Amino acid sequence: MEEPPVAPKPLLSGAVPLEAFLATLQKHGITEVKVEETAEGHILHLQAEDTLIQLEEDGTHIVCDNNEPLRTTLRDLVLRFLQKL
Amino acid sequence: LIMKESSLKLVSSEQALKELGLNEHQLRFTCRVALQDPYSDSETLHRVYTHLKSLLKGYTIQHLPDGTVMVESIVIKVSSSAEDANAKILLLSWSYQDEDLGSFLSSVLKKGLPSGLPKM
Repeated sequence: MEEPPVAPKPLLSGAVPLEAFLATLQKHGITEVKVEETAEGHILHLQAEDTLIQLEEDGTHIVCDNNEPLRTTLRDLVLRFLQKL
Repeated sequence: LIMKESSLKLVSSEQALKELGLNEHQLRFTCRVALQDPYSDSETLHRVYTHLKSLLKGYTIQHLPDGTVMVESIVIKVSSSAEDANAKILLLSWSYQDEDLGSFLSSVLKKGLPSGLPKM
């Protein structure tokens, strides 16, 4: 039987600034990004990766295929801009 | 643990954020897992439920009437492609706080469902 690890993660605070985040993505080779403005923030479409990142003042939502290396990379790039508590 | 007016007190992390005047930032992930399963969407979802139920002991696993399976706070839904009804997409959604369990479930479901599972 498989047992998942259980370690609750800290709460996050702050916001992800669009321009700085786009620059960080670019540095990591993610250059084809279509940015759409929404009422609450922005939606970033990472075209080559077929991934959506919804950036809002109080939340970020990453929608991607089951590609763990990509997901964890994007997660860590987002976490750079947030404080952990 | 926070220090306020020279006294220490133990509060929940949510309360601590509030008292420090900080906003909480919710980080969520939704992961698409492709699966070949020659059943209807609701049957596939039930097979996912049965599979996880037998695999994970000691976890709260629920099959809800709104067409979702929840493992603790991780939400799982099924949809299928318009061209190929056997090509299912499982949508797993979790928050950063449940990162370990969410990532674990996505790797478990990536392996597919065992063939011996009952249809319903």
